Amino acid sequence: MTALAILIVIGPLAGPIAAVLRARARAAGWASVAGALVSLASAITLLATLVHHAPLTGWAGFLYVDVLSGFFLITVTGVTVLAAFGSVAYLSAEEDAGTLTTFQVRLYFIFFGLFASLMLASLQTGNLGLLFVLVEASTLASAALVGLEGRARSLEAAWKYVIISSLGVTIALVGTLFLFYAGSALHLTSNERLTWPYLFAHAAVLAPQPLRLAFLLAVVGYGTKVGLAPMHTWLPDAHAEAPSPASAMLSAALLNTGMYAIIRFLAIAQARLGTGFPRAVLLTFGFASVVIGVLFMVRRGNFKRLFAYSSVEHMGIIAVALGFGGVLGLYGALLHTLNHAIAKAVLFLDSGDVSLRYRTREAAQVRGLLAAVPVTGGALLLGSLAVLGSPPFGLFLSELTIVRAGFAGSSPVLPLLLLALLAVAFIAFARTTTGMVTGEAATPPDPYRGRAARWAGAIPLAAGLVTLLVLGLWIPAGLNTAILRSMAMI
Amino acid sequence: MEKLSATSAAGILLDLSGVVILLLAFACLGSKLFNRYVAYYGAQSVVLSFAAGVAAWTFHSPALWILAGLTLAIKGIGIPVVTRRLLLRRLALGRDSAIWLGLSTTLIAGGALTAFAYLVIRPQLLPHGVVAAAVVPLSTAVILLGALEMVVRRHTVAQLIGWLIAENGVFLGAITLVATFPFIVEAGIFLDIAAGVLIMLVFVSGITRQLAEASTAELRGLRG
Repeated sequence: MTALAILIVIGPLAGPIAAVLRARARAAGWASVAGALVSLASAITLLATLVHHAPLTGWAGFLYVDVLSGFFLITVTGVTVLAAFGSVAYLSAEEDAGTLTTFQVRLYFIFFGLFASLMLASLQTGNLGLLFVLVEASTLASAALVGLEGRARSLEAAWKYVIISSLGVTIALVGTLFLFYAGSALHLTSNERLTWPYLFAHAAVLAPQPLRLAFLLAVVGYGTKVGLAPMHTWLPDAHAEAPSPASAMLSAALLNTGMYAIIRFLAIAQARLGTGFPRAVLLTFGFASVVIGVLFMVRRGNFKRLFAYSSVEHMGIIAVALGFGGVLGLYGALLHTLNHAIAKAVLFLDSGDVSLRYRTREAAQVRGLLAAVPVTGGALLLGSLAVLGSPPFGLFLSELTIVRAGFAGSSPVLPLLLLALLAVAFIAFARTTTGMVTGEAATPPDPYRGRAARWAGAIPLAAGLVTLLVLGLWIPAGLNTAILRSMAMI
Repeated sequence: MEKLSATSAAGILLDLSGVVILLLAFACLGSKLFNRYVAYYGAQSVVLSFAAGVAAWTFHSPALWILAGLTLAIKGIGIPVVTRRLLLRRLALGRDSAIWLGLSTTLIAGGALTAFAYLVIRPQLLPHGVVAAAVVPLSTAVILLGALEMVVRRHTVAQLIGWLIAENGVFLGAITLVATFPFIVEAGIFLDIAAGVLIMLVFVSGITRQLAEASTAELRGLRG
């Protein structure tokens, strides 16, 4: 099993190796795809094994993979596969058009692979200090992707991203210190006192006051990476300025990695402090994010910013679900994590296709996509419906579960508020995307050279939408068991 | 865990280092020259490495000795030298004019944040008579002052220094509160900071160049 865990992390490094060996966009891109597929296959095998076995531990707790990590590993490797296909299409088109130099393309694949690999490593460590180190390192790798195009706007977005996230993660480190301090009374070695399974097992004897502070600081700190309001301000800029496949990775993989860290702290905090305080914290930040996300989606403009604010909204929904708690809340939160990741990856990859064809990121300048480019337009329409939670897609099911979890609680006010906000989000988001899809328009020039690049662009859209459809109609028994077993870890 | 008492020689030295580090953070907040930002940060890191040395000597910990050496080499010497060479000289940065809040107001806000750190941290958490009881509020105050510097200064170099000061505050808390933090983690944090500074240097010089080009373009547009 250890070999599988290692394979998951080194798989995405195939792209960087190809880029260092001076491959051009196509070769480096296909190497990334192959590496990501190896990672995904290993993650699925690992999760299938973990469901029936004890968690994988090793190296004094620095390696720790349980079912919860396995679930997030599947999500992130899945997104990496989709984004790697998208990268082949996007980067080879940009290289052919001369928008990006070969050097920039190589840098892209180096940092894309490093970014994926560091995120996957952070999901596999039980040591909360190492978790901080890896999350901060993945911030740096992804910041390089955001600033890749080197224009004033993208550099500014990258700067904002790296400085806000670094400060945020530093706050999370302070939280980790206080957690370590809360365990002073335990007779464990210093390594063990920072290792999640030990802390979770001994949660009952942790000092409550430092633990309370530790949880709050961790939510604020890692919440900066998740994009919880009011720490979300870097998110729309970074998502709008990064190359589209990198935006997909940010929105669908990085935000979830931050949420994974919060869930680890939540588990310890709930075991010691009871559910009251942690849930109140998550509900506050969650609702703030949903409100902020929805309000900014009303404004029409850059469609990548629209998708980014939708990510703020959905991360808020996941935090609210964790705050509602209970079986339904946790189930909904995990299922929504997977669904949102796939849907948002599809939308951002589709936005890459649109911006390659129209050379704009303004929604008002795109018309008649469905008639002009049926594949792109269809994927945008279906992806929007999916991300807004319409049946029969998976997000309908997970949002329904979350709202039911809310009604199972004491007061119906919060779930009703959530439903109202979801309705506003539907109108605001659909208004912009239907405007882009409908109408008459001339066909824009085709940016791709060769059939392979065109297929590489279309495959992830189709694969993502089919997966969302399947998840909306039927949850495979294996996935169901994995989610239920993950909930037992929290 | 072994505890440092506040009255031992090592405890007094650690307390003193904490106070000096706080004062240097204030000095940075009260300054307007990029050169001084870097100088104060360098001095702060040297004091921090001294504090790490004191902790290493008290706990007889080889890992902490290595950390003290790394702090001196990377934060005390490496980062200030690289920042001066690659940024301040090459981009001819002198006086910071992108200040959002006046210096005296900033210092008053800094004082308020320090008082806040004492009020929040001290009574809640820590046993009395232990050195950590004095140093943890100090380190919290340094983190908050670093964050304040990032908020009130708009220039990228000032924000970078603000982040590094906050990081120093975390490190000060780490060596006194939990002297036995695993070495791999501490080393990883160092690696992150070094990589972070490098990537930020690239962004800073990129942004400054773009701004310079933009302003000269404006000048050309107004000619005639």
